[in-house]
Amino acid sequence: MQKSIRIISMKADQFRRQTLALFFIVSIVPALVVGAVWYLFTQTSRLNFLFLDFDSFVLPVILVGVIPAVTLSFVFAELLARPVRRIRDAVLELAKGNFSTQFRGHGAGEFHEIGVALDSVATKLQQTISEAASETALIAAERNKLRSVLGAMTDGVFALDHTGRIVLFNKAASELTGRSITEVAGQLAEKMLPFRSNGELVMTRWLANQPGTEHKVGQWKGLELYRADGTSLYVDVQAVVLNDDPNGIATLVTFHDLTKTHQLEEMKVDFVALAAHELRTPITEIKGYLDILNHEAKQLNKANREFLERTIASANQLSGLMHNLLNVSRIERGELGYQPEHLDYRKLVTDVVGDLKLRAKQQHRKLTLELPPLVKSIPISGDPTSLREILTNLVNNAIEHTGPSIGEIKVQVAVNKPNVETSVIDNGTGIPAEAVSHLFTKFFRVGEMKSTTRGTGLGLYICRAMVEAHGGTIWAESTEGEGSTFTFRLPMRTVASVSTADDNKEHNQKITRGAHGWIKDNSIH
Amino acid sequence: MAGSKTILFIEDDKPIAEMYARILERNGYQVDFAYNGADGLKMAEDKQYDLILLDIMMPEKTGIEVLHELRGEDGSGYPNTKIVILTNLAQDKTSQEALKAQADGYIIKADIVPSQLAEVIGKLI
Repeated sequence: MQKSIRIISMKADQFRRQTLALFFIVSIVPALVVGAVWYLFTQTSRLNFLFLDFDSFVLPVILVGVIPAVTLSFVFAELLARPVRRIRDAVLELAKGNFSTQFRGHGAGEFHEIGVALDSVATKLQQTISEAASETALIAAERNKLRSVLGAMTDGVFALDHTGRIVLFNKAASELTGRSITEVAGQLAEKMLPFRSNGELVMTRWLANQPGTEHKVGQWKGLELYRADGTSLYVDVQAVVLNDDPNGIATLVTFHDLTKTHQLEEMKVDFVALAAHELRTPITEIKGYLDILNHEAKQLNKANREFLERTIASANQLSGLMHNLLNVSRIERGELGYQPEHLDYRKLVTDVVGDLKLRAKQQHRKLTLELPPLVKSIPISGDPTSLREILTNLVNNAIEHTGPSIGEIKVQVAVNKPNVETSVIDNGTGIPAEAVSHLFTKFFRVGEMKSTTRGTGLGLYICRAMVEAHGGTIWAESTEGEGSTFTFRLPMRTVASVSTADDNKEHNQKITRGAHGWIKDNSIH
Repeated sequence: MAGSKTILFIEDDKPIAEMYARILERNGYQVDFAYNGADGLKMAEDKQYDLILLDIMMPEKTGIEVLHELRGEDGSGYPNTKIVILTNLAQDKTSQEALKAQADGYIIKADIVPSQLAEVIGKLI
């Protein structure tokens, strides 16, 4: 712009010089002609025109021709140069950003037209510049909005480029990690923000396996993140792979601080464990003395005998509840104590169902066992205490939800290599379809059953945790009014692991496990 | 016959000890009490018992410590006496430790109906 204005101003000077020269030439020729005519007119009497009197020729030429011509030349040249100079000045003003400058009116004819054209150029220029300015303001406003949103968020947010380096880091992320934005900018995320699960960089590993341009979301719960000061946080992390723009953000990560919740959770679990344990001593005594009373009180009348039996049932229920609470606290503390042994699942199921038959008979339900006829043994690797608990829980639930005398419960074992599937099938009340998917969550109890049956809503939650600890799955199918089927699938032991069965760490000691503990069979010291 | 079998019950909680003793005596066992580990060890030395019932959570000496002292380092102490842990500690860690220290059984008090206890003991002695 400055350059072109300089050109315009140079052209204006040149133009003035050229105009001046032209006028000078154009004026001097008639002046010479006029001077010659004047001389001839004054000297005709002498008839001697070859010998010119210099003085009498030059003077009139100068007086009549040259002086007015030169004067006129200057006047015209100036008249022509002025609008050009004004336009130059106006353009210089425009260059300074003064768009109110008027070009028109600085001359007539072509100069006017140039002025009008330049005016419209200035107007357009002004429009374009003001549009660009408002766009810039809009972008700035959006940027500020984004900055406010990111800054006000309580969750940590950061973004990575395609090389895994941090390109965005919000205030919460800075506060949570104890690292400043300048400290992390351009650094590798795995160095500055290593999210770990059992010491493993789960997010980094996941991101490394996300090629392509699809949007993918990764979520992790309860990851550990070490802060700059060495303390650690428990966080839930969500990473979104964007991959749209090869030069822009490749991954957006948000993380939510759960440290306090985690601590509270731990305290709760510890409290439950302590409470359940402390309550066990008095309940042991209550159960014991009720048992003594039941055996020794011979003179009780029928009503009193029933009261005693009800008390015994309630005491058993209470101890069962505490047993479940302890199990839940062990699950949540990761102390389920899964002790796998090589065992014959066929024998285990036969034993457990045999024990449960007694209870079913007492409750007037029919309990049957259906084993695969051609399979002599079903080798699995499992924790017998947990497996007993799973079967007991499922059969007890079936007893609860079937009617006395009409209740039929079938435990069906099917070998479906490489798994063994166990189904507990009842002809009871069934479960509403909408409740089936919630059955295995903690404290869930089917609405209308809350009033009719006693339970904690923990049994199936415990079953699921125990089945999953065995690498298996558990599910339920039910038709309301017709009955329910609960099935769990456990992996069978492979041939390779069968050969190591003799290396059992229990030194081949035969142990019988029950719901209440274990005893050695024929132990000899 | 069960009638001639002797049991030493090492348990710091008197009401619990008496309760179990009553049930065991009803089933024909002869039961002696020790209310702490040190007394229990002394009594085991003086008389040969068929079975020792051992609580874990006791002041001064825990049941596991008593078990280690009874069985000795090589696990061969008191070979003619069965030792059964009777506790409310349900941790598998403790249960495994008892197994390693040559206990013959591990029974969780709250999970067993007391009359069942006599049945379990009947299988051992």
